[in-house]
Amino acid sequence: MDDDSRFADFVAERADALLRYGYVLSGNPHDAADLTQEALIRLHRAWSRVRRKQDPERYTRVIMARLHVNAWRFRRRERLAWDPPEQTHHADFPSDGEQGLWRALAGLPPKQRAVLVLRYYEELTDIEIAGVLGISRGTVRSHASHGLNRLRTTIADPADSRRGAR
Amino acid sequence: MNGNLEDRIRSTLGHAATRAPRAPGGLATVVVSRSRRRRLRAQALTSAVAVAVVAIGVGVVIRGPGPVTVEPASPSEAVASPATEPKPWTPATETVEQVWPDAVWRMPRKLAGDVEARPRVFLDDRTLLLETWESHEKVDAIYAYDLVDGTSRKIASISTPKGVFASGFTPGSGRIIWMTYESGNMRLWSVPVEGGAPSEIHTDPPIRGISDHLAIVGDRIVFSMADGGVYTLPLDGGTATALPNGAGLHLLRWPWAGTPGHRTPNGEIAFQRLTNVETGESALAAANPGEIMVRCGITMCSGIRPGGSTGFARLRDGTQDRDLPGPSYGGLAADRFMTVRRSRSSGQDLYDLRTGRSADLGIRSDAKGESVAVEPGMGDGRLLSYPLGDEYVIIDLARIP
Repeated sequence: MDDDSRFADFVAERADALLRYGYVLSGNPHDAADLTQEALIRLHRAWSRVRRKQDPERYTRVIMARLHVNAWRFRRRERLAWDPPEQTHHADFPSDGEQGLWRALAGLPPKQRAVLVLRYYEELTDIEIAGVLGISRGTVRSHASHGLNRLRTTIADPADSRRGAR
Repeated sequence: MNGNLEDRIRSTLGHAATRAPRAPGGLATVVVSRSRRRRLRAQALTSAVAVAVVAIGVGVVIRGPGPVTVEPASPSEAVASPATEPKPWTPATETVEQVWPDAVWRMPRKLAGDVEARPRVFLDDRTLLLETWESHEKVDAIYAYDLVDGTSRKIASISTPKGVFASGFTPGSGRIIWMTYESGNMRLWSVPVEGGAPSEIHTDPPIRGISDHLAIVGDRIVFSMADGGVYTLPLDGGTATALPNGAGLHLLRWPWAGTPGHRTPNGEIAFQRLTNVETGESALAAANPGEIMVRCGITMCSGIRPGGSTGFARLRDGTQDRDLPGPSYGGLAADRFMTVRRSRSSGQDLYDLRTGRSADLGIRSDAKGESVAVEPGMGDGRLLSYPLGDEYVIIDLARIP
């Protein structure tokens, strides 16, 4: 089996999982698609080396996280090929609380959001997160702490006002 | 809302993930094609392997400036022409220089002064426009390189702000134009081909968006936008006006424009519908279910048959259909050329579908098993260039009989 068919197998097996990761990282389907495709392109360019030396999926996820925090989408030059449809038919969140938290996550700066996603979606330790994002462990903790505080403040206010209105 | 915040984040992210978009079929093919295209663009990928500076005097065979055939036939002419038997590919035994001596040149990868320069477009039958980079893809100067006597001269220095890139260098009517993209607007620039300081081509109002194709036709610039639409603008600046026949279209090669353009996010057929924006003549390419990566030129389409392994090519109207010796990810150059990868180690052939001739590009894998993938269909239909050792091989496809 040649490298391109191995790569195609990898994409067929893992693209959906990478898209889910891209979606929780970025918060919207277009950026999820952009992140995933860009990371896969970079993976393909390094495929023979990555496959020999490390786990391709891990490599791709690191690229996606770094692209996300570097706000790559705002300065990319190449238009990406694939525009997923807006998802409107998917199930909503099971509770208003989660809906509110999802909206609050959208208000976080990319690094804070990435740290929280890596901690609570990827279940990585702070040391692992530091490795993924290329920052110190102290910075990871600082981003996490600021992010959590900001979420607490954001979700407290609208919930209170909604209760008050009833 | 119950539970601590951390658990609620876990639960929210978990539920959110189920709303993520699904991967489209054929994503791997798209990714591989984009990866190759990017590799082609960054042709100097081997520059990381520090190359000792090599003497510049490359022996270039001098030959007469024979006439250059330019091929834009129309789809209807191609259909009307007598059917030619598709010519099968056989692995090449000779190099491109041996098979097409009048069309192949070599030039050093570095200009005097040790500057890496990348070939972009032919300025005339013997002169290439080269660009040099300040950093990755950030052009800081353009040069004219004479393939016959091996000399170069600087045309212009180019300075762009951080995050702004000059691209789309296009010669015509004694000028070279290009574009930059800043704050959502496209800006156009110009310099005489003899050289000088770049000047902006003022547009009033500003042009929102970015172009996917520029051309110079007489005293006008014609261009299409990445979002579709063909426009024209006086070469000296002024107001861009939409061409009535060009609404929503992308230029393939003046006067032919089509839809969709090169960008086919949902697996559409690139340039399936083609229109001559001057005359309104139009042509629609045949399509079969299950085919992927189908890209059409002015007369020919190529793609991958259902099942995803066999490449095909045929005329727009569906006739003269034949299997290709390999996948053609980027389409055909000039409706007739593609590369065939023999295997990782034994290189790539340039294959001419029209004559059945093929020739070895001379590319072999390096110690790491990597090599440059040459995709002729992603170029401008005339210039094919790739690095080989300390040189670029330059192929003028228009000189191949």
